Amino acid sequence: MAFEFKLPDVGEGIHEGEIVSFHVKEGDAINEDDILAEVQTDKAVVEIPAPVTGTVKKLNASEGDVVEVGSVLAVFDTGDEDDDNGEEQAISEADKEQKTEAEKTKTEQPAAQTGEKPSGKQVLAMPSVRKKAREMGIDITQVSGTGKNGRVTLEDLNTFQEGGTEAVPETDQAPAADTAREEKAAAPSVPQGDEERIPLRGMRRTIARRMAQSKFTAPHVTVMDEVDAMELVEVRKWAKPMAEQREIKLTYLPFVIKALTAALREFPTLNASIDDEKEEIIIKKYYHMGIATATEDGLVVPVVRDVDRKSIFQLADEIRDVVKRTRDKKATVEDLKGSTFSITNIGSFGGQYFTPIINYPEVAIFGMGKMAERPVAIDGEVVVRPMMNISLSIDHRLIDGDVAARFLNRVKELLENPKLLMMEMN
Amino acid sequence: MVVGDFATEVDVLVVGGGPGGYVAAIRAAQMGKKVTLVDKAELGGVCLNRGCIPSKALIHAADEVHNMKNSSHMGIEVDGVKINFTDMIKWKDGVVKKLTGGVSSLLKGNKVEVLQGEVYFSGENKVKIATEKDSQTYQFNHCIIATGSRPTEISGLKYDGKKIISSTEALSLSEIPEKLIVVGGGYIGLELGITYSKLGSEVTVLEGMDSILPGVDPSMVRMVKRNLKKLGVKAVTKAMVQSADTSGDGVTVTAEVKGEEKSYTADKVLVAVGRTPNTDELGLDQAGIEVDEHGFIPVDKQMRTKNDKIFAIGDIAGQPMLAHKASYEGKVAAEAIAGEPSEVDYRAMPYVIFSDPELAYTGMTEAEAKEAGYDVDVSRFSFAANGRALSLDAAEGFFQLVADKETKQILGAQIVGPGASSLISEVVLAIEMGANAEDVALTIHAHPTLPETFMEAAEGIMGHAIHMVNK
Repeated sequence: MAFEFKLPDVGEGIHEGEIVSFHVKEGDAINEDDILAEVQTDKAVVEIPAPVTGTVKKLNASEGDVVEVGSVLAVFDTGDEDDDNGEEQAISEADKEQKTEAEKTKTEQPAAQTGEKPSGKQVLAMPSVRKKAREMGIDITQVSGTGKNGRVTLEDLNTFQEGGTEAVPETDQAPAADTAREEKAAAPSVPQGDEERIPLRGMRRTIARRMAQSKFTAPHVTVMDEVDAMELVEVRKWAKPMAEQREIKLTYLPFVIKALTAALREFPTLNASIDDEKEEIIIKKYYHMGIATATEDGLVVPVVRDVDRKSIFQLADEIRDVVKRTRDKKATVEDLKGSTFSITNIGSFGGQYFTPIINYPEVAIFGMGKMAERPVAIDGEVVVRPMMNISLSIDHRLIDGDVAARFLNRVKELLENPKLLMMEMN
Repeated sequence: MVVGDFATEVDVLVVGGGPGGYVAAIRAAQMGKKVTLVDKAELGGVCLNRGCIPSKALIHAADEVHNMKNSSHMGIEVDGVKINFTDMIKWKDGVVKKLTGGVSSLLKGNKVEVLQGEVYFSGENKVKIATEKDSQTYQFNHCIIATGSRPTEISGLKYDGKKIISSTEALSLSEIPEKLIVVGGGYIGLELGITYSKLGSEVTVLEGMDSILPGVDPSMVRMVKRNLKKLGVKAVTKAMVQSADTSGDGVTVTAEVKGEEKSYTADKVLVAVGRTPNTDELGLDQAGIEVDEHGFIPVDKQMRTKNDKIFAIGDIAGQPMLAHKASYEGKVAAEAIAGEPSEVDYRAMPYVIFSDPELAYTGMTEAEAKEAGYDVDVSRFSFAANGRALSLDAAEGFFQLVADKETKQILGAQIVGPGASSLISEVVLAIEMGANAEDVALTIHAHPTLPETFMEAAEGIMGHAIHMVNK
């Protein structure tokens, strides 16, 4: 019997996911709970297990497709026989035999007739347009058509090549065509050298979309400062053996989180978000810290929860744990959602100054640069100190420059005088 | 011509002059290539000489006879219809000759050099072409193999060309057999069986499967079965043919039918159980080419074999074995050789069967479309409601259209009835163009003609057919 499997809600509030890969192909046998596919949501790559044991009859999407929750992702043949009633009228014995025969040959047919019996839906385009696409070196499946039912036209091919982007949906047809023409001057349609075209897919597409969304929604302002980390270095050095006893690798990050949490409590608008639709500001009374993490596939932001209620050692342990899971692609959707504020540490890759992009819909992000010894003037004398550049990008819709500066000053103060962190204990 | 071991250099060598080979040769010449075509026998291949064309000529002649005898209800009374079978065969040969002559002058007009001889590969870019007199080596830049197929032989019934015959001999008999056994109820066996039945033979079809025309939509086959009964053609299914005894006057075929041994006697037995690709006597291994377990040569989308100088098209490149598929592939291969980005990229393959009534289908059936994940709309328009079909006294059958429920995109059609073989082309075009039922419904179809049935079926998909009550 055919079993239709609809893409389940793989995490709270997710309404679509992109197929990263299928672990099976049509015709494969699969056991219940074997991995059917990997689906990329806004947050994470989730493994989707097979709901039944049987044969994969049909996969309704290809890798790279965005599938809506609730739409049929795959059809399984569970092997149970369909009831074969519904014979409309009295038919002779011979006819019945013939029917089973036809069914038999039908299953045998596809192998011999791969050419003309498409296994799924195909791109709609006239033969001459398909030919033109080949001549232009365009994979026509990558072009979305502006014609009725998404039919790809000759113009779509031209737009695709000129813009180097997907053609736009029907409704925006006219203006988009104009933009494409304008862009032509900037982006020459003739390659000026060896080029490789890689479809924007998976994690990269998600990152691209989210970065653009943040940068184009929230007017960013970045404030920068530097921290004299001499005492912080001392404290860490002092605490390190204790941490090692507990098999904890102590970095500066837990200290920074503590300092940020203290400052966030004093400046609540930085631990907030804007509900654009309702035009309301949501001030959050909980502190979940996003940790920007570089992975093989790109940037991911796992979350450490309730950082205000955890000790430095606890934080160190949890950060290590969630970052490792993220890098190993084992992070769950829960691990990757719900942050109220984020930290990004470009310093671990050697960077000094940068203007981080806010992890939207949060309203601020804290950036750590590389800690390095530098000469600084203290009380009229030049001394060498371990210095760390810090930056804070804020959503200027909600936070003004003075608030940002004062927040950063407070963070700086706490990091330069780690003893003050003790005063923040609750 | 130089005789000896010196290789004659040619640019594009096409092996086989059938509907794949000669089309490939002409297209390659059109693309500016210097082309040499070699065939061991006559130009036009099986299709023109021993297949499509002569069979259609005989089918038409038999239909004329049949209609003459069966038109009294129209007020046509013919006494004593006589068949001069020798003249009929002669007329058929004339048709073939006209067409092969046409192919020859087309090749000449396109400056294709034509050679006769048997071809054996002797290296990656070399062949030996053997004639009765000598053998000459040719070296090519590119080669297109288009050697086609031959009737499959079954062990118990070896062809003797007299009593146990293939379709080749069946198209050139000296007299109409009184009794004819056809082994194989596929389209070739049925087309010829029906033809001889109409010419007066007593025909028995022995089919090994559960039904005649295996693989064809059962609703279409049902109409053919009904007419076989009317014509008096006996169709025995699940008949596994064992052996044939030709020692007496005629031939006796022994078959196991549903577990029981039965024997059938006739003047001749026509074996039409499929076709075998001609890939076994070409020395393909010398060119580094292997065939699969069915004897087909594996190719890529441009019909290129493992040896990138050599292309293979038509029957030798895989199912379905159809002349129009071979021609299409021949053009792709020729263009690929000329450096064009052509590839096999069709959306619909037409299938036509000149049975009684005619059958034609393309694209997906309802069941296949559902299997492919479509939500399907099906509309069936009966020829009984078509003025032209009625006036042709051929109102049996239907035009069935399969479309996507949401977009109304046309996915396939199954046609049973008059002119089905011609009607299918418009559906193929519609599918290639990505047309939906509305496009077809909005296209004026001349009245009174058979293609109106396509428009009506399309209107039916849209839910507003005029000449039938919509569901």
